Amino acid sequence: MAAAPTTDTVTISINDVEIEVPKGELIVDAVKRLGLEIPIFCYHSRMKPVGMCRMCLVEVGFKQPDGSVRKMPKPQAGCTLPASEGMAVYTDTELVHKDRRGVLEFLLINHPLDCPICDRGGECPLQNNTLFYGPSTSRFIELKRHLPKAFPLSRYVTLDLERCIQCGRCVRFTEEISGDAQLAFRFRGANMQPTSFQLTEFESKFSGNVIEICPVGALTSTKYRFRARPWDLETKPAICTVCSNGCSVWFDYRVGKFVRLNGRVNEAVNEEWTCDRGKFGHDFYNSPKRLLAPALRKEDALRTANWAEAYAAILEAFEPGGNAVAALTGPMVSNESYYLLQKLFRGVFRSNNLDHRWTRHLSAASDRLESKMGMPTVATSIEAFEHKSAVLAIGTSLADEEPILFLRLRKAWFKNGTKVVVACDRDTDADSFAHLVLRYRPGTEMALAGGLLAAAVESGRATVPDPVREDLKRYSPSAAASATGVPEDRIREAADILGPNAAIVTTHRLLDVADAQGTLEYLAGLAMCLRAEFNLYALGANDQGALELGIHPELLPSGVALADAEAAAEVGRTMGIEIPREPGLGTHELLRACADGRIKALWLVGCDPFALHADRDLVQRALEGVEFLVVQDIVETEATSYASVILPMLGPAEQDGTYTNMERRVQRLRQVIPDAGDAKPAWRIFAEAMLRAQPQTPFFSAEEIMEEIARVAPAFEVARYDRLGHEGTRL
Amino acid sequence: MSDVYKSVVKPILAGFGITRRRLMQRRKKYADVTVQYPDELREQYPRTRWRHFLTRYDNGLEKCIGCSLCAGACPARCIFVEAAENTDEARFSPGERYAVRYEINMIRCIFCGYCQDACPTGAIILRKDFELADYRREDFIYTKEMLLEEYPGQSEEPFESKVGGVYVNG
Repeated sequence: MAAAPTTDTVTISINDVEIEVPKGELIVDAVKRLGLEIPIFCYHSRMKPVGMCRMCLVEVGFKQPDGSVRKMPKPQAGCTLPASEGMAVYTDTELVHKDRRGVLEFLLINHPLDCPICDRGGECPLQNNTLFYGPSTSRFIELKRHLPKAFPLSRYVTLDLERCIQCGRCVRFTEEISGDAQLAFRFRGANMQPTSFQLTEFESKFSGNVIEICPVGALTSTKYRFRARPWDLETKPAICTVCSNGCSVWFDYRVGKFVRLNGRVNEAVNEEWTCDRGKFGHDFYNSPKRLLAPALRKEDALRTANWAEAYAAILEAFEPGGNAVAALTGPMVSNESYYLLQKLFRGVFRSNNLDHRWTRHLSAASDRLESKMGMPTVATSIEAFEHKSAVLAIGTSLADEEPILFLRLRKAWFKNGTKVVVACDRDTDADSFAHLVLRYRPGTEMALAGGLLAAAVESGRATVPDPVREDLKRYSPSAAASATGVPEDRIREAADILGPNAAIVTTHRLLDVADAQGTLEYLAGLAMCLRAEFNLYALGANDQGALELGIHPELLPSGVALADAEAAAEVGRTMGIEIPREPGLGTHELLRACADGRIKALWLVGCDPFALHADRDLVQRALEGVEFLVVQDIVETEATSYASVILPMLGPAEQDGTYTNMERRVQRLRQVIPDAGDAKPAWRIFAEAMLRAQPQTPFFSAEEIMEEIARVAPAFEVARYDRLGHEGTRL
Repeated sequence: MSDVYKSVVKPILAGFGITRRRLMQRRKKYADVTVQYPDELREQYPRTRWRHFLTRYDNGLEKCIGCSLCAGACPARCIFVEAAENTDEARFSPGERYAVRYEINMIRCIFCGYCQDACPTGAIILRKDFELADYRREDFIYTKEMLLEEYPGQSEEPFESKVGGVYVNG
């Protein structure tokens, strides 16, 4: 509704009640304004109507000059009928009821009544509509259509062709929303089958959504198959913490165990979609490798210990403090936990050796675009992409790294004609709808970024200071073309497309390439000159939060640089601690210092350096070299075997907390699943460690920590729990 | 005087009269008022609902398909069903699905029989074995192994009383 602010309205009557609706609104949507419901199968409000199932038949007529209504001779499909002046719609007449009974009887001719074993049973639109509108018995005594049951369409999706009612929602989803168009109808009439072409594997990155939009049990989840029935499940709202998009989801759990995940409507983030990585990526909650009790290394073997012993050992080992201790974090930790970790390290251990970054290039505080160029690195909200005229996605495969942003970008192109320029060194899913594809040679990102800026300068649309102009001579469009392998005219065209209503999108993946700093500066410069928006999006669930809350060797919460002595001291006063002056080490330096033995004690919080760091050898030397290693994690990882102390940590959905997604939206995740074993929320572990080190009033809940965060980092004022809406708030 | 007779003596005599009459009738009409349980068991009414059984088809396959409709219908929420998929190598029930775990908490059960009504295959049936008392709370969780018939029709056979050793029609 929000997209149509000043459209013309028309007056229609629904069941003789007159109502004004926007011109052209579909009848199936218009009746909802009166609280009525038209039964549907094929219609989906986010896809184009097709009128395939005929479930939404209504009687329609037009007002005659004498005030009477002249009905059309046949019923009309409400999902394809736009409202027009004087239209009279009837949804509750004898004829409509008869039509609905007829349509349902027809659909049920071939639908097997194996509802008791169908995963959709209990939440099935066909069951519901039959119960409300359908015939109570069947007249069909002939043999039903028989087709393969449980055909594995992909590793996630199981297809039961017998149950299909040929509504085409899945086919249209892959064509209109995800864009991979991997499903299509084969054959015609009663034999029509939605399948992949040549029966190949359905390998869409968004395949899980077709399970949810299927109005029958034809497409079911392979992972959820026979795991539970809907009435066995308890459902609570949550957010997905697998990538940085922070989708709103429903968590379904049974007897305290996570069972499945469904999309939840959040128009600002994921609309209602999920990606397969998130939908099927929460197995760690039920992993047999869950860490359930603290363990302490005694005589060369890890033995189960209690928390008191673990804290005592940790505080003794971290006692030297300063440069001798360090912490590294992973992405799946809440804002509150990050904040307390840095408070523990800065306040108790007097150390700035903290980092959350695992990319090859780590910008020094002075090199960050915010401080160097005054350019914010997160500018565009996911929702805002819909109204961009042009978007340059560079150095990223959006469908893999920011899947929900990918869907939004595709929608922008599909609905509003946004021109998308995709620059990547490999094929990406976004190529299929890109206005322009710039396929550069691996490692030539900087040349391409320079070439784009130079092309914008040459065309007179951008002005840059003279030193930059001199510098750009290296990357004239022709030079950039020969360096990158992208044709010169394409570079020029790409630069021409970008303008004030454009956005440049890249992710932290770009920090892994050579010359990352230069590339970023050229891109930020390009955005600045053209008054476009520049975005360097985070990849991990709460990487953005870690940055904002000072899990950084040179930055304090709210982005205050350590070098700024006065501001840093002020932040310290608000936190009630004294900030150590000496800057800490970044991830790579820190690992090297561990390997050299300069760092005596290392605390790993929810991260496996073997999986996250590029240099495996360095990680191994570091974990072997450091005297005392605390591994705090949800599941057992490769790093746990090196640990001196293992601290079991609860997963995101097992504790209260907030997460900051890549567009700086803070969203609350309440505890959904009960605690696992003896594990504790990360923030509680840090709070208890602080309490043991220095007697003080401890934090009792995540909410209290957010109150303090809001005082220390004023941007988080909007994220206080009493102010956070169910869609979250952008900082 | 007549008042005393009317309000005291007469009712007492009338009461003894009832006792005398019952004593005379005892052998005829009220012979089976008291049943010598556990030596004897009273015959159950035809629609008596007591202990649950999971029944089998004549070919030995389990009727239960693990659909959990019984658990959905149960007002006491005392049934737990966990389903799994049949394979050709390990087939428990006809079709795709069977119950790998089926538990009834007999302490919570109110023997309403809704599970039997809800069952689409007639798998769960409440029979007449009423001797459900036990000593430990854990023993009241009836597992699938306890509920399932060993062979088709087993649950319809007379059952043996736990205490008296007397067979009663099931």
